[in-house]
Amino acid sequence: MIRVDNVSKRYGSTLAVDSVSFEIGAGEIVGFLGPNGAGKSTLLKMMSTWLPPTSGSISIDGHDVAKEPLAVRRSLGYLPEHNALYEGMRVDRFLDFMGKARGLRGALLKERIEWAVDKCSLQDVIGKRVSECSKGFRQRIGVGSALLHNPPVILLDEPTHGLDPLQVVAFREFLQSLSEGRAILFSSHILAEVVAISERLLIINGGKLLADSSLVELKAGADSRGIELEQAVLEIVRSDSSATAGATR
Amino acid sequence: MSSAAPTHSGFVSPIFLIARRELAAYFDSSIAYVYTIAFVVLANSIFMNEFFLTGTVDMTGFFDLLPFLLAFFLPAITMRLWAEERKQRTVEVLLTLPIRTIQAVLGKYLAALALFLLFLVGSLPILFMLLSLGDPDPGLIASGYIGLVLFGSLFLAFGSFLSALSTDQIVAFVISTVLGFALVLFGNDQFVAVVDGVAPKLALGTLLLENFSIMPHYDAFVRGAIDLSSSLFFVLFTGLFLWLGALVLERNRG
Repeated sequence: MIRVDNVSKRYGSTLAVDSVSFEIGAGEIVGFLGPNGAGKSTLLKMMSTWLPPTSGSISIDGHDVAKEPLAVRRSLGYLPEHNALYEGMRVDRFLDFMGKARGLRGALLKERIEWAVDKCSLQDVIGKRVSECSKGFRQRIGVGSALLHNPPVILLDEPTHGLDPLQVVAFREFLQSLSEGRAILFSSHILAEVVAISERLLIINGGKLLADSSLVELKAGADSRGIELEQAVLEIVRSDSSATAGATR
Repeated sequence: MSSAAPTHSGFVSPIFLIARRELAAYFDSSIAYVYTIAFVVLANSIFMNEFFLTGTVDMTGFFDLLPFLLAFFLPAITMRLWAEERKQRTVEVLLTLPIRTIQAVLGKYLAALALFLLFLVGSLPILFMLLSLGDPDPGLIASGYIGLVLFGSLFLAFGSFLSALSTDQIVAFVISTVLGFALVLFGNDQFVAVVDGVAPKLALGTLLLENFSIMPHYDAFVRGAIDLSSSLFFVLFTGLFLWLGALVLERNRG
């Protein structure tokens, strides 16, 4: 459902994403792990149609990002990195606007908003302005609005940012309940979160994809060497010296 | 697995959706109330001043002076359209929805246009007063209002384009106001005479009037002529700036 083929992104002389390729099928929850500035958000922005790749191709649910951006956006639930929301809008009106912008109308729109309010526990803030909501609520509003149209592909950039530990657990269960038939890719720079939510890890640093491995394989590799999973991941992140030093070419 | 959303929602529907959201944002933040009241008070004051000076039952003097006021008020409407979206980073949310960039541009523009038309509704008491006092030329007044709407439409598209270029709405406002004011001033007879007088051989004032001012096109409407070439001028440049705004937003993604 997600196919990223040899994708690169260059900003002037800086190579932010360097020839990255991977595929994610239906039913998979994949964690995108890497330190800040690794290239995770840039890659997600390209997958969301917000940024055009410098080279390579991306396909979402069978639609090419460059050739069919509107079809891609219809298939996509995307939570951007900073989860920017319209501050002055009431939460219910914001959800209504986002639903209508995705073509939902009438009873279906009402049903999907009720679903988002229920699943993201937004009952306490539904009549409030977005600017009055806490960071945790704002994050849940962003996630709820991204999923209103029941998209087959979900991209979430740092979705647990601002959530307390209990909310992270609830979010993990929520994401796992959504996984059937969907491809879900979420980014984080916190290993514990990625391990708790996903079955497969993409590890990126300096714009390069350093590992694409199942959690089981990574754990088995770490166990066989008698080290913790965290240590094994750190070694992968540090394995590319040019990547750790920065990706300026 | 398939999306719950229908695949097609038409070209016009998203434009009105965004226009409604934008218009609500104007009124939610009280911007619309403040601007409308300030504009109506100033516009009516300008008319009253002209009315008592000339003593004629028409709105020509009012239509002559209003562009100076609009050169300030219209950038105040458009400054936030895109600069605020970029500053708050909501532009990424908006332009990754299944909506074309030009639809988003048109939606926001439509909201700004609706607010401008509300400004003009605030000048209708002048019309009613004139009708009760005498026998004004309705064709001349209608033509003047058509000119104002076309003038405002162009300025709003220009302001929207400059807002798309900026991340700071104050910068967008200052640039729009300065450029807009210059375009109006270049068409002012007194300004042209003064600038021509500084260097008569260059005739710089006339040069600016003939090549850069939009006022000759607007003046045609004020004098009662609904001129096709002037109408086309306003419509084409309005379309051009809206298209350029969409182009800038597309190129400046990220």
